[in-house]
Amino acid sequence: MKVAHYLNQFFAGVGGEEEAGAAPESRDGAVGPGKRLQALLEPEHQIVVTIFCGDDHAASNPEFAGELVEKARERGAELVIAGPAFTSGRYGLACARVLSAAAEAGVPALAAMHPDNPGVGEAGGAPVVESGETARTMRPSLERLAEAATKFAGGDELSADDGRIGPTPRRNRVADRSAAQRAVVLLRARLGGDHEATEIPLPRFDQVTPAAPVDDPTEALVALLTEGGFVPAGNPDRLESARASKWLRYSLEGRDSVPEGEFESVHGGFSTQWANAVPARILPLDVARELEREGAVGGLFAEYFATTGNGTTVADARRFGTEWAAELHQARVQAAILTAT
Amino acid sequence: MRWGLRPRSSLIPVNGGPTNGQATRAGLRRLVHELSALELGERTAYDAGRLIVSEDDARELLSDPALADVRLACASPGEPVRIVGALDAVQPCSKGAGGGGAFPGFVGPALPPGTGETHVLRGAAVLAAGHLPRAQEAVIDMTPPEEARSPLSGTHNLVVEFERADGAGWEEVEIALRRVVLRLAVHLADAALEAEPDAVEELADPAVASSEGLPRVGVVTNIQTQGRFKDVFVYGRSLSGGLPTVISPNELDDGVVVSGQYGHPALKNPTYMHQTNPVVAAVRECEDLHLAALVLCPEPVDQNAKELVSAHAARLCATLDLDAAILTKEGGGNADADVTLKMDRLEEQGIAAVGILPEMAGRDGTGPPLVVPPNKATAMVSTGNYDERLTLPACERSLGSDRVALLDSPAIDQLELPAAVIYGALSPLGWGRVTCAEGAA
Repeated sequence: MKVAHYLNQFFAGVGGEEEAGAAPESRDGAVGPGKRLQALLEPEHQIVVTIFCGDDHAASNPEFAGELVEKARERGAELVIAGPAFTSGRYGLACARVLSAAAEAGVPALAAMHPDNPGVGEAGGAPVVESGETARTMRPSLERLAEAATKFAGGDELSADDGRIGPTPRRNRVADRSAAQRAVVLLRARLGGDHEATEIPLPRFDQVTPAAPVDDPTEALVALLTEGGFVPAGNPDRLESARASKWLRYSLEGRDSVPEGEFESVHGGFSTQWANAVPARILPLDVARELEREGAVGGLFAEYFATTGNGTTVADARRFGTEWAAELHQARVQAAILTAT
Repeated sequence: MRWGLRPRSSLIPVNGGPTNGQATRAGLRRLVHELSALELGERTAYDAGRLIVSEDDARELLSDPALADVRLACASPGEPVRIVGALDAVQPCSKGAGGGGAFPGFVGPALPPGTGETHVLRGAAVLAAGHLPRAQEAVIDMTPPEEARSPLSGTHNLVVEFERADGAGWEEVEIALRRVVLRLAVHLADAALEAEPDAVEELADPAVASSEGLPRVGVVTNIQTQGRFKDVFVYGRSLSGGLPTVISPNELDDGVVVSGQYGHPALKNPTYMHQTNPVVAAVRECEDLHLAALVLCPEPVDQNAKELVSAHAARLCATLDLDAAILTKEGGGNADADVTLKMDRLEEQGIAAVGILPEMAGRDGTGPPLVVPPNKATAMVSTGNYDERLTLPACERSLGSDRVALLDSPAIDQLELPAAVIYGALSPLGWGRVTCAEGAA
């Protein structure tokens, strides 16, 4: 089977963090860790093309994945393998986006990353197999990936025995009885002493470790971010009031305040009358400018980022977070205030 | 009796029944008229399941300074019709002249709800549809695929379309629509007051009916309280800032809970759904369970208040000597906590708790199904993942609007939408049959 292998700019040999903005590209045959993977896949499978992209570029430009999958198809690839991405968040997200693009194009795909990588939850139900934490575990990680890829290429489903990690998709279906009637059935079971029966398994959540405090706020460039559905009046870019699929950026240059009538919240999760009467309740630009003038912070970033945090999927929220972090990182922002509603 | 009804064995004495000289609180007699056809005509009239509605007869009920134009249209099950911008829906009901009032606090006086007689047009709904700026797009198909079925897909719907009057505020429009829809619902049921009902249902007052050693089951219904366009009314008042309150489930039939909440259409509990509360109906059907009470709880927005309301609700349930409770919510993710916190507090009191919850597991169904899971309780029923996408086939005619605002496409086209947009499809009150599980559907 002809295989396309996805790598980030570092593993493709383009460069380190300074090359994280590198545009998507492809190269014939196996590159970097792909050479070892090729050896493990032989003789049945052949890496015909390596596709790669800078991590920041991939985080900010989701369409990179579709472009690269198209290139892979042009080379006749019948399977896409991504990573291993270890614990690298942007790389993991990029791998997940490549899997999604491949699924859309009808090409089977799998990736390898560490269970803590945020990309695991972004793979849209496509298989992800476990890798180690860092590139020090490259060899065993590639061995497991190659074994899983060989099985997957043979048309078999991957399971936890193959090192598959990540959630199993839950799908809607129509039951025989209404939810209210099923609740009565469950209630009888519960009254009978059953403490286990349920239709909804308890979810597992990520643990987020707070970042260390900023060393010297008076030197720090600070960004204002919000999930409060905060947009210019009239919502010119049609930010959704619920289940946002995107985030937006608007300039704050030359502006000291966000007056009533010029900005509004389109958030669908609360009554916005008080937010719209005094928009600074959602985006505290007035106070932030004061702090900037006083020298309490080094400066304010020239734009604010906004989305709507109302019924937003965890997958979308994670994507927004990764994209925001990449953008802010590139702009040398050291701290951000994210107002929540 | 007006309709020459045969004597029947009733569970409890109803108005006019034998009391043996004892003071007895009466239950509710539900006089059910099953609707089989709905059309517009010259005079509002009801005969043998067929309801004719006259715009002229209803003209006064439809007029309001905030509304420039109000039009009526019909949408019945099986028609190639799509209703977009669906707002509140109401089941027609009336207590007749001198019977007190339906929708107390809005239409009738509160004398005495949940007792006496209530006429209902079963299989009918009055529904407002159109643009309200704070309402999220809500779609009802009258010939839907099963997974996109709305409670209103199966009812004969009188749809109220409207234009805003020049200079009227949207908040005034919202209030006007509620007034129009509720009064229209009474007007329609009034047409059936003299008709022989298809069924007479005696609903005992749970407070006086004997539970005879059966498990005492409470229904805990959380209602949204988030201000304008996101509020639900009990006797015409918001529960915002208040504590849980106990009512008889029979009061629901008289429309004491009225919705003014327009978010998360699939997870919306319209007035219709409170009047026909599926959890109450399911518990009533069980001879081995005693329906003891309905506990209505506000859904505050901050965590401390959620904890306070949950602890208080559990205390009320303990005072009511409940053995078990089924809990429901309205709205999005934060409202999970209003169910799961109460489940935990109830289990701590030794009261078995079952929650009915929609899932928000992402488009591919791999996200966490709940925003706030319980810590101690476990028993939950799923009404389906609201992020999963589905396809509605093209149809011939639309009501409410000719565009689907969310997609900016013609309303009659084939539509790809998340389940979240289908009105009441994942009803947190447990109406629907959609559920969610791992593996292939």
